[in-house]
Amino acid sequence: MSLALAGTLHAALSLNEIVAKYPDIPRLIIIKTDVQRRGIHYTERALSIVDPAIHQIRSPYLFGSRDGAIKPLPESLLLRDGTTIFVDPTPLEQNPYQVDLVEGRLALVDNGEVVEFVRLWEKPLYYDQKTSSGIPMSHIASARPQRLNIFQSSYCHFWAEQKGCRFCDIVNHNKQQKHELGVPVRLKPEDVSETIREALKEPGRFTNICLTAGSVLKGKDLFDHEVDYYIETLLAIGENFATKKFPSELISSAFNEKQLIRLYEQTGIMSYTSDLEVLNEEKFNWICPGKADTLGYNEWKKRLIRAVDIFGKGNVGTGLVGGVELAKPYGFGSEDEALEATFEEAESLAVNGVTTFFIVWVPRPGSDFRGQQNPSLEYFVRLASGLHQIRAKYRLSIDFNDYRRCGNHPDTDLSRLL
Amino acid sequence: MSVQLSDELVSLLHDRETIKLLATTDESGTPHVVAKDSIHIAEDGTIHYLEHLESSRTNHNLVRAIWFDRRVSIVIIGTHQSFQIKGRPLEVHITGPLFQKHYAEVRHRLGDVDLSGVWVIEPLEVINENPEIRRQEEEKRRPFFRHLDRLAKPLKGI
Ligand code: SF4
Repeated sequence: MSLALAGTLHAALSLNEIVAKYPDIPRLIIIKTDVQRRGIHYTERALSIVDPAIHQIRSPYLFGSRDGAIKPLPESLLLRDGTTIFVDPTPLEQNPYQVDLVEGRLALVDNGEVVEFVRLWEKPLYYDQKTSSGIPMSHIASARPQRLNIFQSSYCHFWAEQKGCRFCDIVNHNKQQKHELGVPVRLKPEDVSETIREALKEPGRFTNICLTAGSVLKGKDLFDHEVDYYIETLLAIGENFATKKFPSELISSAFNEKQLIRLYEQTGIMSYTSDLEVLNEEKFNWICPGKADTLGYNEWKKRLIRAVDIFGKGNVGTGLVGGVELAKPYGFGSEDEALEATFEEAESLAVNGVTTFFIVWVPRPGSDFRGQQNPSLEYFVRLASGLHQIRAKYRLSIDFNDYRRCGNHPDTDLSRLL
Repeated sequence: MSVQLSDELVSLLHDRETIKLLATTDESGTPHVVAKDSIHIAEDGTIHYLEHLESSRTNHNLVRAIWFDRRVSIVIIGTHQSFQIKGRPLEVHITGPLFQKHYAEVRHRLGDVDLSGVWVIEPLEVINENPEIRRQEEEKRRPFFRHLDRLAKPLKGI
């Protein structure tokens, strides 16, 4: 039995038990969270109705999947309340949910029971186009149901120094992606501009653009080259809009004030995220050695807080890889301890106008944490609820990164009603 | 259990002159009722409602309804008839072909407006709210519920 399966079998409470225990948390969001936690497996019956002319097939992404393979499977799923499930195909021995065909519709099935019906993501029209330079536009911008992702460079300089974050597989995955699909490691601004122009021709298809990449340490000031490159790409994107600002999110390294002002004033970017990944200095030092050595936990936090003066309250956030704080061997010893520490820090950020959200940690085969088990469903439900409550308490908006403009955070799904 | 809408009600829903009201409830159970032109019937017998504003109270209440299995109510008022449909939100399309079709249509019709979602509401019960029909129904089913003077013999000479 694999380590992963053993962990799943030890899970304390089942999906239905968690739904009953937390009546204030929508069942659909709990399902999404558990599906992200455990992954999915498409049955042959389900795959028989997938039509690549209509449905979005997995496109290039910054991080790899939990089966370590790049296969032409559906990109992901939607629930009936509009919630996105951003989820990886997962080896059967890890006990994922099955996506099966039931009465002619796709359904999430667990232990032979239908849990919920789902829809596949529809392919945007620009996916069939190529740029003037001959690159498939799906390799330039990957689509979510209502968002465009631009991964402008898929190399992270922390990896060059063997100091990549321990849950991250960016460089290993992108080598594979370049080798198997020919995806460019670094995007040219003119290709990005042309792709955005094409994507905007489809009315009602997108509400947000997210730009991100690995960290670039070079420059006069630390990260200056990363900032220059983002500005170049954002200006290219901006060519397509009649207004200077357009709904958008930048997820990047923690920039200094001068760099943030340049970004905000020169481009159309409207929100700023810099991921602390884990809200505890000691765990951060262990899990994110590159970030710890270059800036350190406290300076990373200070820069986020300073960004609020530039981008405004509710437009600055930090992302966590929820669950890595419990990774073995140096993570927190209990889920209660981990939650307490996380909420305390999230609150100290919220007081200063910075909002915190998480993605469900998936131990990826190309990362240092491969083979580990992510925490229980109950842990993730409590984490989502706690971060949402902190956001509500401090009246922090999450419009730039909500269920529709992102769709990858159970806690911001809950904040849909703020 | 889903109910099928009568032909009379379907044609009322198609009539542009018909007044359509949507009632939802907030977190504390307080009702919120608004006139909604965009309520219409779909080919499969469900009711579709086009929500333009992501942050509207109605949209929030519909999200609550789909999350926590709450009911909504739709009142349809024509010149001579009125009906109430109790229903539950089954699904909301925030993307995909149905959403994009309506997005293009509303922008064609109304100019520079946005669309948040296409709500699909399953009709669970239909009540004919015509006052005369409601009165006859009550008198038949609940014969005690009337004032005696209505049944009194007319007095001679008055
Ligand atoms: S900063 Fe960390 S998580 Fe981000 S790409 Fe680099 S190694 Fe991966």
